[in-house]
Amino acid sequence: MSDTTQSIDLNVELNRRGFVKACTMVAAALGISEAMIPKLLEAATSAERPPVLWLHFQECTGCTETLLRGSHPDISRLILEIISLDYHETVMAAAGHQAEKSLQDTLDKYAGKFLCVVEGSIPTKDNGIYCKIAGRTAVDILAEVAPKAAAIIAIGNCATFGNVQAAAPNPTGAKGVRDLVFDTPVINVSGCPPNPISFLGTVLHYLTFNRLPVTDQLGRPLFAYGRRIHDHCERRAHFDEGRFAEEFGDFGHRNGYCLYKVGCKGPETFANCPSVRWNDVEAWPVSVGHGCIGCTEPKFWDTMTPFYERLPNVKIPGIGGVNVDKAGKTILGIAAAAVGIHAAVGIGKKLSRSTKDDKKDI
Amino acid sequence: MIYEKYYVWSILLRLYHWCLVISVVALVVTGFYIHSPWTLTTLEGTGLYPVLAMRNIHGLAAYLFTAAILTRIFLLLFGNRHERITDMLPVTSRNLRNMSTTFCSYGYLRDCHDDERLGHNVMAGMIYILTMIVALFQVASGFYLRLPENTFWQKWGIILFSSQQHARYIHHLLMWYFIIFALVHIYLVIWNDLTNEDGITSSIFTGNKFRPRGIK
Repeated sequence: MSDTTQSIDLNVELNRRGFVKACTMVAAALGISEAMIPKLLEAATSAERPPVLWLHFQECTGCTETLLRGSHPDISRLILEIISLDYHETVMAAAGHQAEKSLQDTLDKYAGKFLCVVEGSIPTKDNGIYCKIAGRTAVDILAEVAPKAAAIIAIGNCATFGNVQAAAPNPTGAKGVRDLVFDTPVINVSGCPPNPISFLGTVLHYLTFNRLPVTDQLGRPLFAYGRRIHDHCERRAHFDEGRFAEEFGDFGHRNGYCLYKVGCKGPETFANCPSVRWNDVEAWPVSVGHGCIGCTEPKFWDTMTPFYERLPNVKIPGIGGVNVDKAGKTILGIAAAAVGIHAAVGIGKKLSRSTKDDKKDI
Repeated sequence: MIYEKYYVWSILLRLYHWCLVISVVALVVTGFYIHSPWTLTTLEGTGLYPVLAMRNIHGLAAYLFTAAILTRIFLLLFGNRHERITDMLPVTSRNLRNMSTTFCSYGYLRDCHDDERLGHNVMAGMIYILTMIVALFQVASGFYLRLPENTFWQKWGIILFSSQQHARYIHHLLMWYFIIFALVHIYLVIWNDLTNEDGITSSIFTGNKFRPRGIK
């Protein structure tokens, strides 16, 4: 056992075999024919690959981490290999003025040709002072870079929909790229973090076919976000047959039943997690017993929480969050009380009138 | 007193009403089940598909509900004069007058009747129009949840409700509108039957209402 651990190849070079393997995985995720794999390989090795500017704004760098520390080394190597990262604050060697210079150089030299990847939301409140890089606000940087880019890939829920920064009350006025950029095509590779294969698929699709993949109404590529998690989930049969985990650790949970009743948001979330899975170990949240939290959806911090309930609470000013059914039952109770009072007044009136009539008769 | 019989509610309206009743009851019961399945959740090897069955009933009832709502909207435009939208909203002086009469009779203020009127009172009419609007949102959110890959529903679903989760939340909240509506509606029908002589309850079965002879 210890021998095998020691003999793991720590070579960071991407060999031909790994390269073809990674491209094949991406082709499978894209759902394109194997006949297209040579085209993918050709595009990925082409000398005219567009440079990439990777902008970091309000984020945690988790998306970059996911791409670079994928347990499948070929995927992360391929990402570094096929895209020439001219500016990426996390992985670039240059720093300070040198870094800013390489950004400017790319902007000047490759205007209209480079790919821009945005990671992180853009704060717009108070002139965008909540995120500054090299003395400039995120809004300014995006306004300069976006019009010159051939296309923008917004990576992660921050760049696509604002993520937790944009959750109510959104103190910094955080927005996604598509809320601010209208003239350059923007594709949303959403998720917190997104699957590296979805990102790589989008890039390779662009390199191979010279256009962005087909998207849904929210700008997410259909090859990765075309189906709800629920519809491809391996626990779906348990759902249809009515077998559920009622709480974590109970009989149902231990037997791998559906996590719907402990708040799994698979039925409301579009992502390829059940089919592509994560980290090359055939795992994803639901497979290891935790419900989906809906991280690829807009406003997921506002609508998917509480994570272990089906629906968000009704927010009533002064009282706070109230469970939907509790709120419904309360209003129904008030309506029933009003009906009761109305009926009682009617009966009272009738009784008093009839006693008056009785007196008249006498 | 001699009463005269008037034909008020067409067959189509009565059919709509009872389809709505059946579908709403089915939708609420199966809807609660889909929200939180209450059958024994550890059954193995039964060959039963309770959640699937409930979802199928929900879908079937949803089509009945949609048909009922579309029928009522058709009648709002092309029904008889009691069924049309112009008889239900406070847009004519006659309707405005009826609104104050209804308000005073529901509030036990005076002994007031609007004997010239056979259709809905205007307060009920306004609530029914509101119900139609709520129902349309319910239909839209329902189809968006049911057919997420359909481009038409995806487009409108995202415009109206943004994510699936938010649509589901709205769908669940609006269900409570129908429950509360049913309570108040049944109460007011009984109340009207006790206080008036037009035979409101039987009118939804027979289509006929009554009023004393001599009143035009």
